[in-house]
Amino acid sequence: MERPVNIVSALGRAGYGPTPEEAARVGRIGWPAWVGEQLAPDEAADADCRDRLAQLRLRIHYNASEKWPAVDETRPLSLLDKPIEQAWPLFTRRAETDGAERRRPREEVIAATILRAVHSRWQLREALVSFWHDHFNVDAYGNEAVAVALPSYDRDVIRRHCLGNFREFIEAVAASAAMQYYLSNRSSRAGAANENYARELFELHTLGREAYLNDRYDRWRDVPGALKGTPAGYIDQDIYEAARALTGWTIEDGSRIDGGRQLPETGRFAYVEAWHDGYQKRVLGVEFQPFRKPLADGRQVLDLVAKHPATAKSVCTKLCRRFVGDEFSAALLAAAVDAWTRNRAAPDQIARVVRTILLSPDFVDARGAKVRRPLNLVAAFARGTGIDLTPTEPLWNELANAGQRLFGWQAPTGLPDDRGSFLGAQALRRRWALVLGVAENWWGTGAFVPASAFGGTAMPRDAVARYLAALQGTVDETAAAAILAGLGWPPDVPVGEPGKPETGKRLARVAAFCGMAPSFQTA
Amino acid sequence: MAISRRGMLKAAGAAGIACGVDGFLSVPGLRGLAFAEEPAARPLLVVLHLRGGCDGLNLVSPANDKDFVAARASELRVADSGSDAGHPLARGPAKGIDFRLHSAAKGLAELYDSGHLAFVHAAGLTAETRSHFVAIDMIERGIADTAGLGRTSSGWLARHLAALGASSPVGAVSTAPGLSGEFLSWPGAVSVSDLNGGFGAPGGAQGDNVLHRLYAADAATGDVGAAGRTALAAMRLLDGRLARDAQNKVVPYAPAEGVTYDPAGELARPLKTVAQLAKMDVGLEVATVDLGGWDTHEGQQGRFRACVDRLSTGLAAFWNDMAPFHDRLIVLVQGEFGRRLRSNRSGGTDHGRAGVIAVLGGRVAGGRIYGPWPGLATEKLDEGVDLAVTTDYRRVVTEVLAQRTGAATPPELFPGYKYPGPLGLFHADGNIVRRS
Repeated sequence: MERPVNIVSALGRAGYGPTPEEAARVGRIGWPAWVGEQLAPDEAADADCRDRLAQLRLRIHYNASEKWPAVDETRPLSLLDKPIEQAWPLFTRRAETDGAERRRPREEVIAATILRAVHSRWQLREALVSFWHDHFNVDAYGNEAVAVALPSYDRDVIRRHCLGNFREFIEAVAASAAMQYYLSNRSSRAGAANENYARELFELHTLGREAYLNDRYDRWRDVPGALKGTPAGYIDQDIYEAARALTGWTIEDGSRIDGGRQLPETGRFAYVEAWHDGYQKRVLGVEFQPFRKPLADGRQVLDLVAKHPATAKSVCTKLCRRFVGDEFSAALLAAAVDAWTRNRAAPDQIARVVRTILLSPDFVDARGAKVRRPLNLVAAFARGTGIDLTPTEPLWNELANAGQRLFGWQAPTGLPDDRGSFLGAQALRRRWALVLGVAENWWGTGAFVPASAFGGTAMPRDAVARYLAALQGTVDETAAAAILAGLGWPPDVPVGEPGKPETGKRLARVAAFCGMAPSFQTA
Repeated sequence: MAISRRGMLKAAGAAGIACGVDGFLSVPGLRGLAFAEEPAARPLLVVLHLRGGCDGLNLVSPANDKDFVAARASELRVADSGSDAGHPLARGPAKGIDFRLHSAAKGLAELYDSGHLAFVHAAGLTAETRSHFVAIDMIERGIADTAGLGRTSSGWLARHLAALGASSPVGAVSTAPGLSGEFLSWPGAVSVSDLNGGFGAPGGAQGDNVLHRLYAADAATGDVGAAGRTALAAMRLLDGRLARDAQNKVVPYAPAEGVTYDPAGELARPLKTVAQLAKMDVGLEVATVDLGGWDTHEGQQGRFRACVDRLSTGLAAFWNDMAPFHDRLIVLVQGEFGRRLRSNRSGGTDHGRAGVIAVLGGRVAGGRIYGPWPGLATEKLDEGVDLAVTTDYRRVVTEVLAQRTGAATPPELFPGYKYPGPLGLFHADGNIVRRS
């Protein structure tokens, strides 16, 4: 018989936690039906989120200079739906605007990401967008080109392909301004290619470090399967050759090609034949003929890594870890790899793999296996307690302090996904503060309105039980007793008169303490 | 102010420090805590990671080596003449080769010349890897083979602390938000990025009260509970020691007179935090600090100069700020690997093998470059492309840890590693030679 899924845990791992309405809905339609809906998200069916994005205003302020007047205003988001060539001049003509304008594209994506985490109907898509942003990490704080390219990267690459086909996905990543700048392939030239992107393509995006067999670095024939064209893994020579294959893949950023030619300034992908190393190559045991047609070398590298069995294993392992936790069965991984491989040509390859994982016994049994990341904690707290959360800059700065700087992870690994990474002393202290700060509206993210979700009496005992239930589905009696004892308020005397501001403040505090409970730190 | 034994036991108990690490030297519960030996007597060890792989050949260049000059773009070499010439380093590892320190490393040059800073060149990981993440995992665990990654799940600092029976709730501090891998399996390690906003519980006394009950040993089990207790123990100890003004606001840390960290950029905050913790006398034994930006595949010249400037001004400021503690301070500076001898056409260098390790301290026999120099002729290179590793990083680490513990026999913390003996990085006790 099918085991029942714990709704709070399931929605906490496959999304950003339940609202009371969403939890009830899953109870009605059942987990498989919910997963089915979520794997085919329809933008038109989420008018609420769209309206919120349209109404969102972010402050921007900077001083006057010789070239521009001072600005201090709140502005709607303007770049999320614009093609990259409209944002790109912020980077190429950087002398003409204040730095705050160049940070703006990044800030709009951060704000939209937080807003969607809390308010999107398509919670699973948001979870996958977060997964793929980590997998294909770029650092929008380390490089202004990446910051300016971020809206396009988020929209045209990550969101467009997050449930789609992996082979198409990696080409979109490879051709994006964000990745071309972040891993510096845009300046790679024939003669002495830049290996940065090629190495991370193999190690992080596709085959994975388990398949890095560099004890055989100068003996490619000794890699098992290599002589049949199916090597079990890769060595440094594959990186060197892949880097050569990807020379000439660059971005229209105004770079000079030669005396008479210059690339336009659009931020779009370009292939420059003059920069490509056209001679013969050998990648993963496969010979490339010299001087093939434009893009053929790079595309064949992407074909080879996308179809490699190590890639299926490596990416499916990461997906299992994201949704199930650090430990999962060999059977689950095998099922995910099987779904990945069978659907390699399918336009919804990734959706099918995710379905396999979310409907597995491992997923059902993994209650509490994931430590919530700071954004997951905040969003789940707001969704559970009914806070109408609006993103603000102080909030995302606090998320960074708690260990999650959105789009600001320096190394190409992306934010770690294991349990231990979010349990450091500073991180824990900051995440407790995050919950209290959201409950008490320290950062202008929205007032706590106790009546909206609960009403009823304001007795501490009652409030603790209600908020714990709202956040965790059931009342954790150990946590309830600890909070009641620690509050120091008589448990069965109302904390104040109904409707009085002081009463609301005290209830907000009770809710925050429920959000600090050990059992709410995981999903 | 000293911590009472009772307070320390309580804090250690709360932090859950009583563990065996990978079957190495287990600590038999609280009985193993080494109170006979005052922890503060051991030198503070600061491990500074140059994240991304620092180009050791561009930091300490064999400036006039003909193979080096032939293979490297001139802007990625330290010059031995002209307006941007690097600082000449006396006592290099090879006769006839003029080793020069990057011209932006003025602070490091002074520390070298005054005999407090030593370099170990052509040092690193003996395993054949050019992956950041494999190399970092190996170095943090103190191993040098892929199979070892599966066998060894603890970090070398964790094993070192377990062997010592370190006990302070803030004995092991990571200044980055996440814990550094050297602390893997050490339950008492805490991350503390800065203390300027205080380090107490959110929600004041009520929050403190609720959190201590929520995370009490009988209320919260597993890793989340243990992490909460570690955090709360560190928070109580640190917050209680912070200086406060009349309005009870935390007084920001003031470095020693005349010392400013500001030019060190992102390195300023973590180094200031370490100095502050050291001066708070809370039993800090080891701290880790990260400085990123060294993965210079592209446009290395300017980026590398900025990184060197941050490192050099940061370490110089830290050294001056820590003046009273010089004889009880060791700073170990290392990246995951060096970079390719031949530069690429992006004006950068790709992942290589050997790099340079720096050791700074009052008892360091500095002013010298240690380690055999393999040379840069093609047949001497690793795979024909990179500076070969002639000094295993574990040799340097073992020597540093032996200096910390003062033990006659060096600690055996590295599985499968045969320590060939000290390089001589430290002066013998009572034999400190200072040049000025």
